[in-house]
Amino acid sequence: MPEMEDELIGRVAAELRRPVRLDPAFDDRVMAAVRAHPLALRPWLFRRRTFSVTPLGALAVAAGFAGLIVATTLQLARRSEEPGTVTAASVVPFVLHAPDARSVTLVGDFNDWDAAATPLRATGASGSWVVTVPLPPGRYRYAFVVDGTRWIPDPAAPRAPDDDFGTPNSVLTVGT
Amino acid sequence: MNAIARFVALTLGIPLVAATAARAQDPRLERLPAEARASVSPVIDSARAIGLPTEPLVDRALEGASKNAPAPLIVQAVRRLAADMGRARDVLGRAAGQAELEAAVDALRAGAPPDVLVRLRDALGLRQLAVPLGVTADLTLLGVPADSAASLVIALARSVADSDLLALQRDVERSVALGAAPLAAASQLLGDAAPTGLEAGTARTPATPTTRRKP
Repeated sequence: MPEMEDELIGRVAAELRRPVRLDPAFDDRVMAAVRAHPLALRPWLFRRRTFSVTPLGALAVAAGFAGLIVATTLQLARRSEEPGTVTAASVVPFVLHAPDARSVTLVGDFNDWDAAATPLRATGASGSWVVTVPLPPGRYRYAFVVDGTRWIPDPAAPRAPDDDFGTPNSVLTVGT
Repeated sequence: MNAIARFVALTLGIPLVAATAARAQDPRLERLPAEARASVSPVIDSARAIGLPTEPLVDRALEGASKNAPAPLIVQAVRRLAADMGRARDVLGRAAGQAELEAAVDALRAGAPPDVLVRLRDALGLRQLAVPLGVTADLTLLGVPADSAASLVIALARSVADSDLLALQRDVERSVALGAAPLAAASQLLGDAAPTGLEAGTARTPATPTTRRKP
């Protein structure tokens, strides 16, 4: 039985090894079909291109890239020194003495003026409300909201010079 | 269009489209009343187009929204801030950063004439001006004449670090709160800074992180 299988395999292999004789016109027919294929179906992006650039042009492009890199680096370096964009933050305590308040929240440039984002917590019976906020260097306007309705500036901080909306704000500068 | 032109258009166009998409209207502005949003967005776009920082404008609009201000008031506040930041940049130069412009706007609104800011900028050279400008603004708001405030800040900023400058400002605030005349309290800054024993131009290393005093 195994001998019969070997013989069969041998015959199949021999058949497969026989050279295939193609019609002499086969290549021409294939190429004709390829040429007849609509060009639009071959995406422009995948076609190979050859660019020729003069040395002066190549230098100009290289100089442009170099300038872009230098400008970006300088800009990033400046931003890293600029208060307000440095990632290192200082933990800033905000304190309000409001013994009669039921709730106090902090709103300002640092929390998109969201009155629900930064609640203060009451510290025992002293009537003081406290929260600490990590702030990167910069200049911030802020205020407290007492009982959800009353906006008051921080009595311990400079008053912001403008009052665009009828309730004054405080201003805080955080250094590097 | 030849191949090179298409290549350049693709290379430059894709980042441009991506950047434009990224700069689409800030979703935070959805909090504004519709009529305010319609007017504020172009102001912010215009500011961005001329290279002004837009975050302070968004913040001002959000402040108005949180305070339930009427739309015209919000629009007016944002326009006014954009104009003042442009004015501040004219004074400080195009390299001025956001914090510097915000502090300069406060100083100008506090009554400091533009030439005071120019003097401060020229005197402090390449140093970041956000804190010196902020201290000048705050001292002016406290009642110190702007010219005197700038002179004091220039004298101090040459020898102390930003954190020390802020600490000294707080000392002035405390003195004024206790009844001292603003100019006299501010002049004391120079006396307080002198004992550091440092030569001009040497910054002191801040001993502690910058924090605001408790009331």
